[in-house]
Amino acid sequence: MSRRVVVCMVVVGGVFAASCRSGQSLTNAGIDRAPTPVTASTVPGQTTVPPTTLPRKLDSLPPCDVAALDTAAATAPVEITFWHGLSNELGRELERLTGVYNASQNKVKVTLQFQGGYEETIDKYLQSNTDSRPDMVQMPEYMVQQMIDTKSIVPTQACAESAKYDTSAFLPQALGAYATEGVQWSMPFNMSVPVLYYLKPRFTAAGLDPEVSPRSLEELLATSKQLVSSGASAYSLALDSDFDGGGGWYIEQWLAKSGEFYADNENGRAAPATHVLYDGAGGVKLLTALQSMVTEGGAVYVGDNASGQDTFLKLADATKPAAMTIGTSAALGPVLAIVRGGIIPGVLESEVGVGPMPGPNDGKGALVGGASLYIVDGKGGAKAAASWDYMAFLESASSQSQWAAATGYIPVRNDALTLDPIKSLYVTDPRFKVAYDQLTSSLPGPTSQGPVIGPHKAVRRVTALAVAEVLSGGDVQTALTKAAQAANDLITNYNAQNK
Amino acid sequence: MKRKRRDSGLAALMLVPSGVILLLFVVYPLIKAVWLGQQRCGVTKCTNNGFDQYLDAFRSNEFQDALIVTAKYALITVPIGLVLGVALAVLADKYMRGVGIFRTIFSSTVATSVAVASVMWFFLLNPNVGVLSEWIGGIAKTPGLLQDPRSALWAVSASSIWANLGFTFIVVTAGLQGVPKDLYESAYVDGAGGFSRFTNVTLPMISPTLLFATVVLTTRAFQSFGEVDLLTEGGPLGKTTTLTYLAYGSGLPTSNDDGLRATVSVLLFAVLLALALVQFRGLEKRVHYGN
Repeated sequence: MSRRVVVCMVVVGGVFAASCRSGQSLTNAGIDRAPTPVTASTVPGQTTVPPTTLPRKLDSLPPCDVAALDTAAATAPVEITFWHGLSNELGRELERLTGVYNASQNKVKVTLQFQGGYEETIDKYLQSNTDSRPDMVQMPEYMVQQMIDTKSIVPTQACAESAKYDTSAFLPQALGAYATEGVQWSMPFNMSVPVLYYLKPRFTAAGLDPEVSPRSLEELLATSKQLVSSGASAYSLALDSDFDGGGGWYIEQWLAKSGEFYADNENGRAAPATHVLYDGAGGVKLLTALQSMVTEGGAVYVGDNASGQDTFLKLADATKPAAMTIGTSAALGPVLAIVRGGIIPGVLESEVGVGPMPGPNDGKGALVGGASLYIVDGKGGAKAAASWDYMAFLESASSQSQWAAATGYIPVRNDALTLDPIKSLYVTDPRFKVAYDQLTSSLPGPTSQGPVIGPHKAVRRVTALAVAEVLSGGDVQTALTKAAQAANDLITNYNAQNK
Repeated sequence: MKRKRRDSGLAALMLVPSGVILLLFVVYPLIKAVWLGQQRCGVTKCTNNGFDQYLDAFRSNEFQDALIVTAKYALITVPIGLVLGVALAVLADKYMRGVGIFRTIFSSTVATSVAVASVMWFFLLNPNVGVLSEWIGGIAKTPGLLQDPRSALWAVSASSIWANLGFTFIVVTAGLQGVPKDLYESAYVDGAGGFSRFTNVTLPMISPTLLFATVVLTTRAFQSFGEVDLLTEGGPLGKTTTLTYLAYGSGLPTSNDDGLRATVSVLLFAVLLALALVQFRGLEKRVHYGN
């Protein structure tokens, strides 16, 4: 057979194969059942709560006996390793706190292992077996369901009950974020929420009060119009469709502000979520409002913001800048440091305004972002008890006050605010307290606990595609219906693989 | 004859270490990946699904889109990279004072890691603080070359072409130095001009080098990951989701499923194998190996 024939065969074969696009999603590859179409429901509170007569779910999970630490530490200190994903200043502050802990007692010795970031921590943890996993691990907020499904963790509630640990000073939102089906799986550690960043000089130039930021979406639109029509700013608001920002995380925030669920089964907290609800009337109303920010309000859509910096850099644009953007409160420290460096001519560090993220319910309320701490099972009772002891130190009011002041994260407990340094920071620079006030003003009820979904990040990503389409002028209902179908496929398959 | 047999026994013995390493780190993982590729996985366990999963995955929208993106990416980066590399190499292939400086500059990108190159290009292309966007204007400014679905792949390609230029330059320079000077002299005597000498002498003589560079650049294009991850994360609207990024699958259907990741990786392997076959079989005849 000549070479030419081989070449032709390969080429023809390739073209043939490439031409048979099945029109199916990769999500369904190899699955021999048809994906079950789910019609979205807009009725909030629709749940399948298991009857309360069942035994507590916690009793079927790995136990924790905090007394095991004293027994084991009688001979030698218990050594534990902790994997975290905090870099730079955040990592250094964690090292400092851990050094204080190690020096303060002789029962436990903690070794920190920085994994390079959240993504790396997740990949490494999921690919490891019990022996190579650490005794304690930090995971971002979207990992709750997957961590539960690894069946590799000791719920922190087991340790808290064994230690008769008092959680009354904790923010209910902070604990609730990491609780599902009545079990506290992990403890909140570093918390952040999205807030509005704006440049006060441009507000003044537009004739707006620079000390008052817009709260509702209507106020945001009015402010936007004035910023642009007065010529104070080329664009009003920089919007993005990042799945960890405007495309995903913020959508969850906005639905929570309006008292709506993002996914069924009370956002997946009463029982695992089976489908998303954002293609209902609430989601359509919200995205229509966002679209009008661009079409009427002079907002600029900066794209999917893969770097996480494009929205902030739009404020510093030399020729056509924006005056406002929405970003995580955890960015406040770095943003102020960069503005201090003079990146925006004519704007001082003190002229960066911070307000609650505008939205329904006058911008009140937020869902917890950031990460939490998990205890790894299968390491022996002493290690679990030692991890709990270290965790209790990190959760203490004193540690949380220092941690929040050094990083800009929100303290996980109220009594931390009575202690310096965070006590005085919140007085001297109230911008750092905006996130705390926003989180603690959340609506009561289950809609103020964010969604817990197995393939959470992938769901955010398909949602982000819909937001991108809407912000570029696409039809809202069509985009949301398509995204919800893709999200539901992801969830259906995840649930089937993790029964 | 006897001695030869004894030699082959010894040879086999000496091949054992590399054989074992090859089996352990190449063959075994490959077989394992092919097996894993017909499974669908949850967080803790996998279930066999049958090998039709490969066909399903190949025909799926995501894979087809990624295949097209990857093919486009290769079609952009390989020819442009090759032409630029050859042009620079020919320019620097002169005996004159200071040419060493240019050779060093032109080959310097070889010492630049993908991460460094990508971060540099990220800031060059940034619509708000980037130099290039100020010069170009238009969509480079709003929404930005990396943010606009029409230009994102080109922008990522620019970074990749630049980063690979040093490699092409070095390889082609080496090829040029192997061209006998008397060929140029006789062509000159026959009245061939500069361009004619380039097309009739230089190009045929460096064709093996060009084949090598083409194959390597194509393979690199199909395997490129760092640029995409750092510059666009596969966006906007999936316009830069290449096959490797699909296999990595941050936030894609593959992200919670090791089975699907393996499926995509094995399919990528098959695509590259077919491509290399085509390149060698198809281009080999046009290559002039001298003598």
